[in-house]
Amino acid sequence: MRSLGRYLLIRTLLTIPMIFVLVTLVFIILRVMPGDPVKSSIRPGAPQEYINEIRHTLGLDKPLYVQYGDYLWDLLHLDLGTTLSPVRGQSVAKQIWEHFPATLELALAGMLVTAIVGVGLGAYAAHHRRSLADYSLRLYAIVIYAIPVFWLGLMFQLVFGVWLKIFPVAGRISSLAVAPKHITGLYTVDSLLTGNWAAFKDSMMHLALPALTLGLYLSGVFVRLTRSNMLQVLKMDFVTAARARGIPERTVVYRHALKNALIPIITMMGLQFALLLAGAVLTESTFSWPGLGRFLVERITYRDFPSIQGAVVVFALLVASVSLLVDILYALIDPRIRY
Amino acid sequence: MKRNKLFAVVALLVLVALALAACGKATPTAAPKPAATQAPAATEKPAATQAPKPTEAPKPTEAPTQAPKPKPSGTIIIGTTDKVTDLDPANAYDFHTWEIFHNTMDTLLHYKPGTTDLEPGLATSYDVSKDGKTYTFHLRKGLKFNDGTPFNAQAVKWSIDRVIKIKGDPNWLVTSFVDHVEVVDDYTVKFVLKKAVNYFPLLVATFPYAPVSPNCYPADKIASDSTCGGIGPYKIAKWTRDVEMDLVANPNWYGEPPKTGNIIIKYFADATTMRLALENGEIDVATKSLNPTDYADLKSNPNLQVVEGPGAYIRYIVFNVKMKPFDDPKVRQAIAYAVNRQAIVDKVYQGTHEPLYSMVPIGMWSHIDAFPKRDLEKAKELLKEAGYSADNPLKIDLWWTPTHYGDTESDMASVVKEALEETGMIKVNLQSAEWATYTSQFGSMGMFLLGWYPDYMDPDDYTYPFAASDASDDIGSNYSSKEMDALFAKEQAATDLRGAEREKVFEDIQKLWAKDVPTIPLSQGKLFVVAKKNIKGIVLDPVMLNHYFLLEKAGQ
Repeated sequence: MRSLGRYLLIRTLLTIPMIFVLVTLVFIILRVMPGDPVKSSIRPGAPQEYINEIRHTLGLDKPLYVQYGDYLWDLLHLDLGTTLSPVRGQSVAKQIWEHFPATLELALAGMLVTAIVGVGLGAYAAHHRRSLADYSLRLYAIVIYAIPVFWLGLMFQLVFGVWLKIFPVAGRISSLAVAPKHITGLYTVDSLLTGNWAAFKDSMMHLALPALTLGLYLSGVFVRLTRSNMLQVLKMDFVTAARARGIPERTVVYRHALKNALIPIITMMGLQFALLLAGAVLTESTFSWPGLGRFLVERITYRDFPSIQGAVVVFALLVASVSLLVDILYALIDPRIRY
Repeated sequence: MKRNKLFAVVALLVLVALALAACGKATPTAAPKPAATQAPAATEKPAATQAPKPTEAPKPTEAPTQAPKPKPSGTIIIGTTDKVTDLDPANAYDFHTWEIFHNTMDTLLHYKPGTTDLEPGLATSYDVSKDGKTYTFHLRKGLKFNDGTPFNAQAVKWSIDRVIKIKGDPNWLVTSFVDHVEVVDDYTVKFVLKKAVNYFPLLVATFPYAPVSPNCYPADKIASDSTCGGIGPYKIAKWTRDVEMDLVANPNWYGEPPKTGNIIIKYFADATTMRLALENGEIDVATKSLNPTDYADLKSNPNLQVVEGPGAYIRYIVFNVKMKPFDDPKVRQAIAYAVNRQAIVDKVYQGTHEPLYSMVPIGMWSHIDAFPKRDLEKAKELLKEAGYSADNPLKIDLWWTPTHYGDTESDMASVVKEALEETGMIKVNLQSAEWATYTSQFGSMGMFLLGWYPDYMDPDDYTYPFAASDASDDIGSNYSSKEMDALFAKEQAATDLRGAEREKVFEDIQKLWAKDVPTIPLSQGKLFVVAKKNIKGIVLDPVMLNHYFLLEKAGQ
């Protein structure tokens, strides 16, 4: 595993220039884009002198390269700065930490739905190739991928929330429920850890629709991917050999073949993680889910530069760490892979 | 069938990600809340809202009688798409945050619910000096802030000085008028003004004037997340930004105890989700704002009531009168004749607005219908006089902003465009910019759509910022007229705030407005609150702040 260690180190070091380029791009785009964080947070008609004064106290009147230099210097010290708008002077890092667990909880639950539904249905479709189920599943994969995720969310809210009244449509936990003690920030996990069953049930109910929306949205890709990979694997000699040995078909398909088809699927999971986060941004807005995506969208409308930059850095780090994680998983799943 | 390994992989993914998250600290955990018992109960129509009446100077009232008060109980959950900005009256300048203040920090004078009349709040009475430059307030005795600090003249002075020092967004409501504050004795405080301002009592009812505890707020810093409150019917028990705010009844409140013990405000990212949550029974009340189409739909829901009240929210077009072609008054007048207010009200706002023919809102003291009704012929005539024709049409850009005024804004711009182009002599090019961009373009846009909420309930607030020489550049209108300035001076110097003399001046201002057309008023919004049928005590007024302390759930 020494070589793996070296590989990890290089990969980690490589994320630094990546983040740097990203931050620089975001910094420039935000400043080039029209819009002003001060004016967006105060009422139209405020006197110009007053606006200038605020700009001065916030350091927005300094030359751009000075602002950029200050920003990079702070970032080096892991200081994400303070907000500009709509509320000034709050720690960006603190705000991101407050919003992050909600997004993580949603992303994980969504990923779980995607993995189970996507891989499961894909394998089933491959197993029953050219059956009605296969055709339906292939159609499903295309349709679900083409449906805008917010529309899917709205439909779920309407059907399961308003009509059937099974699930709540907004938020992470009921106003009248007792939120679990803070451990990880993930309500479902925290309530489990503290044995708070009422809160667990409540937060699971709240998580259900957003997770389903996000998970199903991404499952289409995995149905298709798993199916085509499985079909290839099912043609391989070892499958024929396994069948010849009289191993039950289900074991052959779901144990031997699926395991061998998993590698590209895991790669895809890593790649799709960025898409998952993008979907989370929309899902969070649809379900009033107080996560980082909703935070980012809101702050973009206010041109709150430090918050936008901070959130983008966090998203970038997330994507980078997930792709790293995927690389490690390869080695675990397929012992032949060495770095 | 064994799928253990597949699950092991998935579980590993989950676990590693969990470990990543575990080092983070996040949202504070909630305190236990009392469970609300709900029972469907008899519905009652909310009290009819009253049209605004001339303000009267409040009369002194006796100290409240200390009869044992019933302890408020029960819980009501209110949904909103608005947000809290700064929980600090020195810097908050938006409707929802002011609504929270309205329920958690009283001012020296406040509006009587359901009216635009002032009544005594933390002050029992006040005197005005002969020259109108000194206001002396007599404070209520024996009151305490939530942290136990006694309420007195020193605290009032400290709070005002703090607003002046911090210079937050709404500071002009204080600094433009108040020179300094003096403590006369423990329960008497004197405001010395820079010049006589007849509407000063209305200003005192705004929240930069709310006394706060000197021991709970920092003297020279904005406390954005402070839950200290002032002295109000409710105290803030818990607050998670953008998620939820819990209010509990203040046991030391001097006035009538709130009808409900707990108020929970839930913050929604969009109107559609809030509507679904209301239909699903997750919230009891939905306030600002649902989409205009929702109100009509929800009226037919047997479990819900849609309560309609007067609003003082107006929509209008602003011209930059220094920019071609809008520097020609004839062009502005022609556009004023051509706009179709009825179409705006019907198509864009689905009956939730009404046509407005003056910048002074309907129902506000001194309002007249100053602008002419739609007249396309007259508009064409004026355009001809200004040198335009069907072959040489007037080409203009109309600016609008997509989200700040709700999802309906693109319809608004299209309806205005359509109406103007009906003359056959105007070509409108629609231009849009996001709010942050929009506000930074004031001064470079020739014709743009805006909206206005009241700061204080006086026509001055709806006219002066747009048309006074020393204010109009900030709103991007650049209008300046000696005649108008003279009228403003006269209006502001009048001794009687609601006297006939001042009323006449405002009529003249409105008439001159229709002639010079620095802006074109379009429509006025009504205020809507949708609630479950068992919610009582929804009282709406043009001030547009909800009174949580009057809300009551039948059967709890």
